[in-house]
Amino acid sequence: MTNSPRTAGRINRLLAMLPWVIANPGAHVDEVCTRFGYTRSELAKDLNTVFVCGLPGYGPGDLMDATIDDDEVTVEMADYFSRPLRLTAAETFGLLASAKAVQSAGLGGVSLDRAVRKLEETLVPGGGDSVVVDMPEPPMADLLRTAAVDGTVVRIDHTSIASGRQTVRDIEPWSVFTTLGNWYVSGYCRRVGAERVFRIDRIRTATPTDERFTPAGAARTATLHYMPGDDDVHATIRLGAASRWVAEYYPVEIVSRRSEELTIRMAASDPLVIARLLARLGSDATLIEGESVASALEDLRSRILSRYAADA
Amino acid sequence: MQRVIERILNLLALLLTVDRPVTASEIRNTVAGYDRDSDTAFHRTFERDKALLRDLGIPIEREATDAFEVEFGYAVDGERYSLADPGLSDDERVALSLAVQAVGFGGRTLGEEALMKLGGVAAGSSGTQLGADLGEQADAVAAAFEAISERRFFEFEYRGTRRRVRPYGLVHRRGRWYLVASEANGEIIKVFRLDRASDIRQVPGDDAFTRPEGFNPAEWVIREPWEAGDEWMVATVVFDPDVAWIARRELGPRANIADHPDGTIRAEIEVASADAFIGWLIGFEDRAEIIAPDRLRSRLIELVRNA
Repeated sequence: MTNSPRTAGRINRLLAMLPWVIANPGAHVDEVCTRFGYTRSELAKDLNTVFVCGLPGYGPGDLMDATIDDDEVTVEMADYFSRPLRLTAAETFGLLASAKAVQSAGLGGVSLDRAVRKLEETLVPGGGDSVVVDMPEPPMADLLRTAAVDGTVVRIDHTSIASGRQTVRDIEPWSVFTTLGNWYVSGYCRRVGAERVFRIDRIRTATPTDERFTPAGAARTATLHYMPGDDDVHATIRLGAASRWVAEYYPVEIVSRRSEELTIRMAASDPLVIARLLARLGSDATLIEGESVASALEDLRSRILSRYAADA
Repeated sequence: MQRVIERILNLLALLLTVDRPVTASEIRNTVAGYDRDSDTAFHRTFERDKALLRDLGIPIEREATDAFEVEFGYAVDGERYSLADPGLSDDERVALSLAVQAVGFGGRTLGEEALMKLGGVAAGSSGTQLGADLGEQADAVAAAFEAISERRFFEFEYRGTRRRVRPYGLVHRRGRWYLVASEANGEIIKVFRLDRASDIRQVPGDDAFTRPEGFNPAEWVIREPWEAGDEWMVATVVFDPDVAWIARRELGPRANIADHPDGTIRAEIEVASADAFIGWLIGFEDRAEIIAPDRLRSRLIELVRNA
């Protein structure tokens, strides 16, 4: 049996709550609950635990005193818990990285700026930046986010990364988010009648319309993962030494490995995605299997070479 | 769980009160909640409790009880236990809390416990403006951060080689975490992608080096893939009207862009790696064309022809 993470979580919260209550005797029970995420009964339970703990001897003069009286919380005889526990490196990192992400997106404010400065000065010795988050928000994000809150249908002119196809759609934006280095808007697309996610950098224009929809409520933090679909195309590719990075960069399945050569299998929503990859790799990569990719590559090659007025 | 919490509070109360190392047997005989009958049961429980306290960040050290180093006990240094209080105001804590809620690390948030230690957030705050995810390598990045803040050497496996570095800073850019560091036995600054580092380890020993004064890790991490290399050249590229807006957006202010009346644009871009640049440019298929230099143009034709 090991001590559970729930035990650790409870002790962590107790060691955070006690110093604050000791420093603010008689604080209202509701404020203590809000600050430390307690329900009233959870707080009462933790204070009862504190009440039976203390120093060896464990007589009346050795135990801590913890009471809720007239909705006022008081803890006494607990000087050893009067100072908050230091932050772990992971906790400091979580705070700083979160704050810097918001600052980088341009959504911080003076309070956040001051908080970051204070945290860095006291918690990260040595000065200079130890954590930098670079994810500037694209200009269109603000319009889309406002529309998501107001319930305004937005007309977007969007070019698909995979197929290069340009479409104009009316969408009901739900949330704006960033992950893996790109910014997205998720929402209900009226053109296809289903939920869709669009990369904001591929939206050329976004115009609010007179149409309205009922916003779903709080914006959700979305994460995006590559989801294999039934319509995906597959290809098997042999990579030479100079192209091995592909196996680290894209989600691929490694079929075989032989000295310098690596054979991989990959999937994409459109054959052009894999064709473009093959075009840039030149003779260092060979398509072994994948008919639709082969014809997409043939077409891409002849289009590019004719643009450059070069022979195939 | 109730009994575990009581026992651990009692143990911690003692260690924070006495100004000397306390032996395991003294703990067993004085702290309420420990088994006095079975040796094995006591040791198992005591080891577990120490591990839990250390996980919470409580610096429990094993120290000799006297100069002869015959007997060892456990001690918590009150100074190292305590938070260096940054003195945040309520509005600063609310701003931090909103940031913590808005930013995920592979779907989970980091920092709620930290905010409680800093005094908790008084007003119920909600309404996140931003949804951002900083990736799933939070544990590796936090370990690197610990090594940076304690100035410990940091070791990891990277592209088949074991590295030992002096870690200086972390940069999140283009969706990835980069560690900027110098090799432990050299001065050359290197940049490592943390998602490619495995088997990471902090080498015990704080203050093993000094961070260069005013170090700015962001300067070391390239913004575009074609900025890494040593084939410096200025590429001139023409983009067709229907993709000109994409090129303009992606190149940003670092490219020199001229507009033409027919809607095409001509961009001059500094390129350090021809292949990385061509990799990006092929995304535009036949709607962009390299005008100069010739060697870049021929390289693209050669790659496409042999693909």
